[in-house]
Amino acid sequence: MPTNSTEPTPTDRLSTRRRYRRLLGGLVLGGVAANLALRATGYPVAAEAAYLLCAVGLFAVLFGAPVTLFDERDATLERRASQLTLNVFAVVLILGASVARLVPHVTDYTVPPEVRGALYGYVALFGVFALAYGYVRSRR
Amino acid sequence: MNNGVRERREAADMSQADLAVAVDVSRQTINAIERERYDPSLELAFKLAAHFDCRVEELFDPELDGRLADE
Repeated sequence: MPTNSTEPTPTDRLSTRRRYRRLLGGLVLGGVAANLALRATGYPVAAEAAYLLCAVGLFAVLFGAPVTLFDERDATLERRASQLTLNVFAVVLILGASVARLVPHVTDYTVPPEVRGALYGYVALFGVFALAYGYVRSRR
Repeated sequence: MNNGVRERREAADMSQADLAVAVDVSRQTINAIERERYDPSLELAFKLAAHFDCRVEELFDPELDGRLADE
């Protein structure tokens, strides 16, 4: 494979990719850790500022990295993991909503508002998914 | 999917990392293709075939079990 002195070697490109991917992980963990630490020590505004700063850094790395950070296999893995996650939440929503509706009629137990809120959150999740699906389909 | 990526890569005296850079994917992706745990996209299959200067069907065998022949 021909190379010249200014062209990065394969090893350089792979190590660059690895470095940037580690940086992404570091920004996520760093942002969460800084947020938790600053909130615990009584600096809520600084906590959110640190968190948002890391989020901006994350997007800067994601879109500004000089090498491709994620390839087609990463996209496939992400798609399958997302599909699995949606399937799990679909089962939880179908069974949970039915149980939540039925329980007050057959027992004295009242479903906590947090549980109802979570179920409505799942409904919103699937609503957003349906919109996103329609949008993507309309463009293909 | 059965494929001859490993054989052709080794014949070309390339590492997985070299091939990964040549076709712009990660080394893990090349490893997964060679271990038949991941089927590449058409685009990547053509890139690999072009890199090894062969036809896609010489590099990949989809094992259709005669399904195409029956149609």
